[in-house]
Amino acid sequence: MPQGDYIDLHRKRNGYRHDHFERKRKKEAREVHKRSQIAQKTLGIKGKMLTKKRYAEKALMKKTLAMHEESSSRRKVDDDVQEGAVPAYLLDRDATTRAKVLSNTVKQKRKEKAGKWEVPLPKVRPVAEDEMFRVIRSGKRKTKQWKRMITKATFVGPSFTRKPPKYERFIRPSGLRFTKAHVTHPELKCTFNLEIIGVKKNPNGPMYTSLGVITKGTVIEVNVSELGLVTPAGKVVWGKYAQVTNNPENDGCINAVLLV
Amino acid sequence: MVQYNFKKITVVPTGKDFIDIILSRTQRQTPTVVHKGYAISRIRQFYMRKVKYTQQNYHDKLSTIIEEFPRLDDIHPFYGDLLHVLYNKDHYKLALGQINTARNLIGKIAKDYVKLLKYGDSLYRCKSLKVAALGRMCTVIKRVGPSLAYLEQIRQHMARLPSIDPNTRTILICGYPNVGKSSFINKITRADVDVQPYAFTTKSLFVGHTDYKYLRYQVIDTPGILDRPFEDRNIIEMCSITALAHLRAAVLFFLDISGSCGYSIAQQAALFHSIKSLFMNKPLIIVCNKTDLQALEGISEDDKKLVMEMKAEAMKTLIGQGGEPTNDERVLLTMSTLTEEGVIAVKNAACERLLDQRVELKMKSKKLNDCLNRFHVAMPKPRDQKERPPCIPEAVLEAKAKKAEQAAEKQKKLEKDLEDENGGAGVYSASLRKHYILANDEWKEDIMPEILDGHNVYDFVDPDILQRLEELEREEGMRQEQEADDDFEMDGAELTPEEQEALAEIRKKKRLLIQQHRMKKSTAESRPTVPRKFDKDKKYTSERMGRQLSTLGLDPTLAINRARSKSRGRKRERSVDRGDQNGTDDMDVDGNQPNKKLRLRSRSQSRSRSKSRPPYEVVPGEGLKDSAQKKKAVKLAEKSHKKRNKDARKGEADRIDASSIQIGFILHKLYTESCELSYPLLEVALKALKGLYGYRGESYCGLI
Repeated sequence: MPQGDYIDLHRKRNGYRHDHFERKRKKEAREVHKRSQIAQKTLGIKGKMLTKKRYAEKALMKKTLAMHEESSSRRKVDDDVQEGAVPAYLLDRDATTRAKVLSNTVKQKRKEKAGKWEVPLPKVRPVAEDEMFRVIRSGKRKTKQWKRMITKATFVGPSFTRKPPKYERFIRPSGLRFTKAHVTHPELKCTFNLEIIGVKKNPNGPMYTSLGVITKGTVIEVNVSELGLVTPAGKVVWGKYAQVTNNPENDGCINAVLLV
Repeated sequence: MVQYNFKKITVVPTGKDFIDIILSRTQRQTPTVVHKGYAISRIRQFYMRKVKYTQQNYHDKLSTIIEEFPRLDDIHPFYGDLLHVLYNKDHYKLALGQINTARNLIGKIAKDYVKLLKYGDSLYRCKSLKVAALGRMCTVIKRVGPSLAYLEQIRQHMARLPSIDPNTRTILICGYPNVGKSSFINKITRADVDVQPYAFTTKSLFVGHTDYKYLRYQVIDTPGILDRPFEDRNIIEMCSITALAHLRAAVLFFLDISGSCGYSIAQQAALFHSIKSLFMNKPLIIVCNKTDLQALEGISEDDKKLVMEMKAEAMKTLIGQGGEPTNDERVLLTMSTLTEEGVIAVKNAACERLLDQRVELKMKSKKLNDCLNRFHVAMPKPRDQKERPPCIPEAVLEAKAKKAEQAAEKQKKLEKDLEDENGGAGVYSASLRKHYILANDEWKEDIMPEILDGHNVYDFVDPDILQRLEELEREEGMRQEQEADDDFEMDGAELTPEEQEALAEIRKKKRLLIQQHRMKKSTAESRPTVPRKFDKDKKYTSERMGRQLSTLGLDPTLAINRARSKSRGRKRERSVDRGDQNGTDDMDVDGNQPNKKLRLRSRSQSRSRSKSRPPYEVVPGEGLKDSAQKKKAVKLAEKSHKKRNKDARKGEADRIDASSIQIGFILHKLYTESCELSYPLLEVALKALKGLYGYRGESYCGLI
């Protein structure tokens, strides 16, 4: 044993105290009561955290207990029901299902023509103009109020140059400009940090789309070359659409879901 | 940073604990209350502060971790290699590198979010940004959690490494497993190393300390080394190889000539030859252990040849150092740790060799030359061929010769020599009883009982003890009587009336002095300490002295004259004039002598009559420089007495500039609107205006 292990060395040479094991046993038995006392006395945020931790422990313990109590005795097992199986009294409804199928295809064709795609967030809260823009006073006496500053996250392309400050109506502050988004693949369930190529559509209006404002529900185009996706034809896919799922101005980052 | 005591590294918390600590700190140490009605800049500042505070704390704690762990390239190569052998340099560096990256990432996060917070326009938005910032910082730490756990493990192990100083005098013990290295170190130092019959009992380096010639030597015990190629060695063997490679120490190579360790002499010789490159420039001694089982002379011819080969190698190192090649006693030694014969000799030989080598090196080094330059023994230049030896008087020479004879006669063996021979201060304890004079010499080492048959032995040691007790008591009695005689009687029964009077006077005076002293002591803290010459209370005037002397019945004139002649300086002319002008002063006892203070006063008669002083005259005991300063001081004191104005009336500072247009506007508006208002309402408005704008308001009201 190394020279520095004083405790172990002492134990090896002189053994334990005469009451060591008894004291240890009693201390461990008292632990339970001590824990419950602490849990009752802790207040505030610490108390909440402690209860959460204890609840998790309790749930886990219950699960393990249930697992141990699983009896090995045999029970009657129901056969799995086949997909599409229907009880006897519903058997002769064939005609209506086929009609349903037809009408569904018609509806889908209509949707395709209209250009309404299925997206993870079909509806979003509309953003009012005074929430989106802040009025900036300009002029010598600060009476002119035609400038607006955008208070939400924006995307400007790499070749973006501002209009001369005297003429620019919409100010996009550089602190609110984002270039990257955290994109989640819905099937693989993993998230990548991908570059934004452009803003495709903002549900609040075409003006916002042209300004490059990114709010919740906006469809953006991201650079997926690092994912290594390949089309059936054999070409490498490097841009895909994704829909924003959070409020970027509140979180400081853009989280999106890839539209496969 | 050179650190050979790794116990000072602070504990590295686990990832979860780290997060808890920092977040609870932020919650406690920053303000907690904010409402959505506050000004937006205040809300922003509140949240920015939290983000910055958290980042600062993370930065501080991570920086301490990075700085306190030793950098393997900066410490002594022995420790660098040892830590590499034990913990793998690459893993160690990676872990620290990850902590560093975490620190930088957290800094970047904080910077970005503080920038974003500047655009927050509602409490909810600022709060979400702060939550996001703190969350991201904590995620960074969570990811780096395994590195933190690894560093904590390393820290715990490092703290228990033996504290070896690589630069001091060191003796290194190496050899095959089970040859007796640990027993040797147990014998010469106080290190209690485990000694067991199985191999590889010692699994790490052990340190002990021993003394030789008033110097402290480090003795390092290494785990046994097997004869294997370098790449196959395990961690334990690598520890000893590292020690051998990097420490400048005297090496004791242990040889088990009895073969009871399980390895033959041939195998041990093979090991010796394979690691002899590590013995370069180190004083090497080959020690044959376990001679109680097998003497060195009794081994077979082949083994003897191998031993001689090893000795030859060791001699090479001796010759290399410039020592005499003939002294082979210092290279090959035998001993037995069981019977303890030769153990001390081995230690002494090793210490001696090491000391010689170190001294030689120091002499050759440049540093010594710097010191040597400072010494210079000046010899007078010989001016002729005549010999001039030092002159010692005859008597001294004779005395010296006699002393030398006496010393030669006695030549007692000192206890000190005995101690040195038997192992030094820690090992040998002198027997204090060996010079006892007893009837039978065998009783010297007996233990003396204190109680025998229920009696105290010491009571019966001296046969005349009762007699002596009586004598002692008699002496005590006499001494007490003497003391009683010396007591001074103060009752006054034997004093004459004059003496009694004098005694009463003395007692009264004494009481007075004690009272005065007590008063002085109680005010000592608030009283200014004035030097005696300023004498505010006029206690040290010559008149007073004269008065006191006359009350005692002595003639004071001579004393006063003497005192005056000594105190009076050069400028006597003017003072004498002044003295004539100022007339009476009833403090003068003798009348003509002018008062010192009066001399300094102004000449005007009125002033001289009044006893009070002019208002800003500086009295030397007060501590002020001149009268201007005193004036200022008096003014300040009076100002602080002034009562505060609590009438709440409008003052100078409360007036409004009446030239601003606003008032005109308001008044005009009121006037135009007043046509529609009812009369009493108008009055109220006008009154309010008056109150607001004071006298100017009145004039405007007049307009209306």
